[in-house]
Amino acid sequence: MTTEAFFNELQTNQVSLYISQLNAFAGAVAQLFHILGFLLILTAVLIVNLRLIGFGLRKQPIPYLAKVTNPLILAGLVLVAISGLFILLPSASLYYPNPAFWLKFYLLAAVLVVHFTITRLVTRKENPKPVVAISAATLSLTLWFGVAFAGRAIGFLN
Amino acid sequence: MTIIQFLQILHDSEFGTSVRESLYLFPLLEGIHLIGLALSLGLIIATDLRLIGVFLKQVPVNEVLHNFRPYVLVGFLITFVTGIILLWAEGPRIWEIPVFPLKLALIVVAGFNALWFELKFGRTVQVWGQQAQFPAGAKLAGWVSLISWSGVVILGRLIPYLEATQSRF
Repeated sequence: MTTEAFFNELQTNQVSLYISQLNAFAGAVAQLFHILGFLLILTAVLIVNLRLIGFGLRKQPIPYLAKVTNPLILAGLVLVAISGLFILLPSASLYYPNPAFWLKFYLLAAVLVVHFTITRLVTRKENPKPVVAISAATLSLTLWFGVAFAGRAIGFLN
Repeated sequence: MTIIQFLQILHDSEFGTSVRESLYLFPLLEGIHLIGLALSLGLIIATDLRLIGVFLKQVPVNEVLHNFRPYVLVGFLITFVTGIILLWAEGPRIWEIPVFPLKLALIVVAGFNALWFELKFGRTVQVWGQQAQFPAGAKLAGWVSLISWSGVVILGRLIPYLEATQSRF
């Protein structure tokens, strides 16, 4: 099956048809949870990455900040994934030809890999090498902001 | 002159027209508006949650306030300036979306709340920040900030959503 056929299939299965029958209010609620989830991720990402660069909560140990922000990231990811499915499923074939949609998911895949490998490793240390810490933080911030930017662009290209 | 007439003059101006009709500038400004918001908002939420007493509990509150402030202010400035330009270009249409005036009202609430907090608690944070229980007013300011900024984001997100829904029907 081609990707396009898969997206058409996504849109026409029973669950998707059920979601699309819900009123516009349900759609707005899904959007709000999507934003809320992103805000949780964002708060965590900013606190840790600013600290890695040497800004923000400079006096606090890096592993402590990584530890207390981790639940925010996980809760945020769950929220955006569930609300994202609600947004995507009823209009999957509308999103398929949208380049911003694909860009967003490539960037998201990249940032998740970076987060669970590079960021994890770097934030385990009390004093990572500044060049390593700054590179990791810049990469993470660029990718996360890229996801947001591409996400906003989806609406412009639809 | 009514607000809508004033916005119409901005809309019709050469600057407003060129922003609106530019293929890339308008989406780019929207993107920067969002990124500025992202920079300030994540840290505002962290600060509010610290004041309420549920997050970063081991970090002294004055450290949270002082170390995040520059980024909050820079982010807010970016969002504010891009927001003004967007309104300049699309004012009358945006003003007619019912949630927009409400969004502005919440920004004013958030602004006065921050000012009140700064004047009443800002300078004495070294003292009350050491106590186990923060003053009720400081906690309240955290809640007001958290709720009003959440409202701003929710209403802000509804603007393009309502726009799209209106044009679809």
